[in-house]
Amino acid sequence: MSANPTLIAGGGPQMRKPLWWAALTVVIVTALVPALFIVAAGKNPLTAYVALLAYTLGSTNGFYEVLTHSIPLMLVGLGVAIAFRAGAFNIGGDGQFLMGAMAAFACAPLFAGLPQPLGLVLYLAAGFAGGAVLGALVGWLLVRFRASEIISTIVLNFIVLQLLSWVIRGPLQEPSRLMPWSDYLPETLLLPNLIPGSRVHYGLVVAIVAVAVLAVLVRKTAFGFRLTAVGRNPFAARYAGLREKRVVVWAMLISAGMAGLAGSVQVAGIHERLQDNFSSGYGQAAIAIALMARLSPLWVPPMALLFAVFYVGAGVLQREANIPFPIVYIIEGVVILGFLCFDAIAGKKEAA
Amino acid sequence: MADAPLLQLQGITKRYGSLVANDSVGFDLGRGEVLGILGENGAGKSTLMNVISGLIPPDGGTMQLEGRTVAFSSPREAAEAGIGMVHQHFKLVGALTVAENLALGDPRWGRRALLRFDELKSSISEIARRLGIEVDFDARVDRLTVGQQQRVEIMKVLSRRPRLLILDEPTAVLSQEERPALFRMVAELAAQGTSVIIISHKLEDILDSCRRVVVMRHGRVVSVSDVGGKSRDDLIRLLVGDDLPVLRPKGLPTEEGRCLLRAAGLSVRRPNGTVALHDVGFELRQGEILALCGVEGNGQSELVQVVTGLLKPDAGRLDYWFDHGGGYPDAAVLRRAGVCHIPEDRLRDGVLVDAPLTDNFLLTHLGNAQFNRRGWLQPAMVEAAVAEAVSAYAVKTPGPRAAMSQLSGGNQQKLVLARELASDPSLIVAAHPTRGLDVKTIAFINNQLLARRSAGAGVLLASADLAEVWQIADRIMVLSAGRLHGPLRVSDTTIQEVGRWMTQR
Repeated sequence: MSANPTLIAGGGPQMRKPLWWAALTVVIVTALVPALFIVAAGKNPLTAYVALLAYTLGSTNGFYEVLTHSIPLMLVGLGVAIAFRAGAFNIGGDGQFLMGAMAAFACAPLFAGLPQPLGLVLYLAAGFAGGAVLGALVGWLLVRFRASEIISTIVLNFIVLQLLSWVIRGPLQEPSRLMPWSDYLPETLLLPNLIPGSRVHYGLVVAIVAVAVLAVLVRKTAFGFRLTAVGRNPFAARYAGLREKRVVVWAMLISAGMAGLAGSVQVAGIHERLQDNFSSGYGQAAIAIALMARLSPLWVPPMALLFAVFYVGAGVLQREANIPFPIVYIIEGVVILGFLCFDAIAGKKEAA
Repeated sequence: MADAPLLQLQGITKRYGSLVANDSVGFDLGRGEVLGILGENGAGKSTLMNVISGLIPPDGGTMQLEGRTVAFSSPREAAEAGIGMVHQHFKLVGALTVAENLALGDPRWGRRALLRFDELKSSISEIARRLGIEVDFDARVDRLTVGQQQRVEIMKVLSRRPRLLILDEPTAVLSQEERPALFRMVAELAAQGTSVIIISHKLEDILDSCRRVVVMRHGRVVSVSDVGGKSRDDLIRLLVGDDLPVLRPKGLPTEEGRCLLRAAGLSVRRPNGTVALHDVGFELRQGEILALCGVEGNGQSELVQVVTGLLKPDAGRLDYWFDHGGGYPDAAVLRRAGVCHIPEDRLRDGVLVDAPLTDNFLLTHLGNAQFNRRGWLQPAMVEAAVAEAVSAYAVKTPGPRAAMSQLSGGNQQKLVLARELASDPSLIVAAHPTRGLDVKTIAFINNQLLARRSAGAGVLLASADLAEVWQIADRIMVLSAGRLHGPLRVSDTTIQEVGRWMTQR
């Protein structure tokens, strides 16, 4: 815990109030960077953006897509916010996401025969547990051996990625053994469609419930207080007898559990089976989302929606202007950098 | 000696919410004069100096420098006008050398990759020579003593050849031996025409170094006089107000109370292998104040950590008055049983600086069902408890939801004390609870400890102030190089004997 993420996210009394104008400026700057690529592709950035906004926010179908994409972003973002609040950098959202998906999928046959809601709940719980085991491991390594959680989460990302790659070519591969993916998830464990005619599924309800639960946990409970106190001053937390090591392990556990839950939700709601590369870098985006939400669970949904607009918008840009999809990662990077810069400026203004 | 005064202040006012930090403050400062500003913690001295040095803008009032009205919008402007301030907390980079620290952020020695160290060294050596001090430019700052570090800070300010040098609590960090050298340097500076303002809450500092003294209380100037013009008692009365604090007389030595803590054979090695504690054993009983003395770095900090559940000893036994089931009890177990701890390093260990007072109070009361009902926080109860503590301990704050950082050091300490004593602890471990505070707050805190002692609590008091120990402690023990001397009844020993123990190796 050499660096302190709660400080980067502007800990202190203003931790709760996000700076709207800073966020807005960040959005404008991030709009300008891809504009350069659009110009380079020989298209008019303005028309491309109009198309982007018209689709994502101006059309029903587009907005449903944004909602669909916001589900995993919201869940992983919540998790990252929880770890950061306790002063632990969880960089491993992607690995935990995949681990949750695998764990839930592997347990699926056990739950498939159960009555509908119960089986699904157990399936999602298995997803949470899959991520949580990974997070608890990282937390334990951190408090027991002072192994940097940044390093261990990143390393675990690679390990889990390879594990997935093996699992879908080995034990969980589809019966015909032709394609590197698994069989379909049993029908009973699929998350039902929420809005007919779109891809929006009941995962949205899961995410909203998660926001509410974590917001209450952070603000109203003793556990939330411990979390924040440890993040703000681990020495004082130890002095006060808050057992800061346990708090850190629990924070990592919950954080990774949320990512795992997101993984299982994504499989049950969208992909319906395990395959290569279905995490699409949610872990990275979640860091930006958590920081911009100032680590406050209630601010995670709007920030997740914003990033979902980027994701869906990047698809539009690809179709309309031949901009390759990875532009979205450039946008993410610019958003994180931009946010930190404007935050520093705003912090200075406040201090003056 | 001077025709127009160097600095004239009139009606300087600064408010923080409902708190008036400076209320219409005014005084003059002559050229080459050493002026003392005396006041308790929170009297508004630091606020005033921050106004003068351009760090914070005043809400009202005028400031004249050599007859011209000035208003600084930044410390840089003030520095360019010839005002330099040395803060109480140094802003040095430990891993860099003295020369590198001096060059830091100073465009005169080069903005780009190449720094002109030769020019820097010759320029600063000349200033140092005139003051009769030596500067080792190539020493790493973290290897210097605190006094030497302070000198680097002062040289950094002096390199701009200021007309006014402000020293904020310059002796707070110095040992008794380092004080005279500082004051010699101040006198030399004044003789060469630089005006100096010394801020302090210690009367001795002012008497030893200043010609005139401005006394501040509650944000107002209550007296401006020559140092010789008022008696010591007069100054103390001006400083603390009319009600001079009187320590409660010590009660009769209580008959042997129940044993609260029995330590035997405690040994601790520091991570670097040196011995912090060697075979330390003592008993602490109900209704007594047991003082733990010693020169800093001889194991007192470690002993305090061991008995408060923060440092597991390498060997030895600890038995408290309650059953903690073998093993080493951690801070959570001890706090639940009624051990409280006033930490030595308040900012590092004791508080959440940016968080509101309510969170700071809750920090050590999370186990109390009043504030935490089955895991659910009770913010209204916490706020009420803080409001009660604030009024009972006369903590000056804009409100219970103000951030800890908005309070002065003395008020922060009062709040920590209030918080720790709020749980009616049976065993109070207080590490230097009055260090750096003013007379009145010191008396207040000591009275609180005495009251708890009368009520039957046991107090382990780590202190470096022998006079204070003699006033309030029942027994005394000394750590020297990790070995324990005593404990003995204070009435059975003398300051001289204790002093001998402290210096024994």
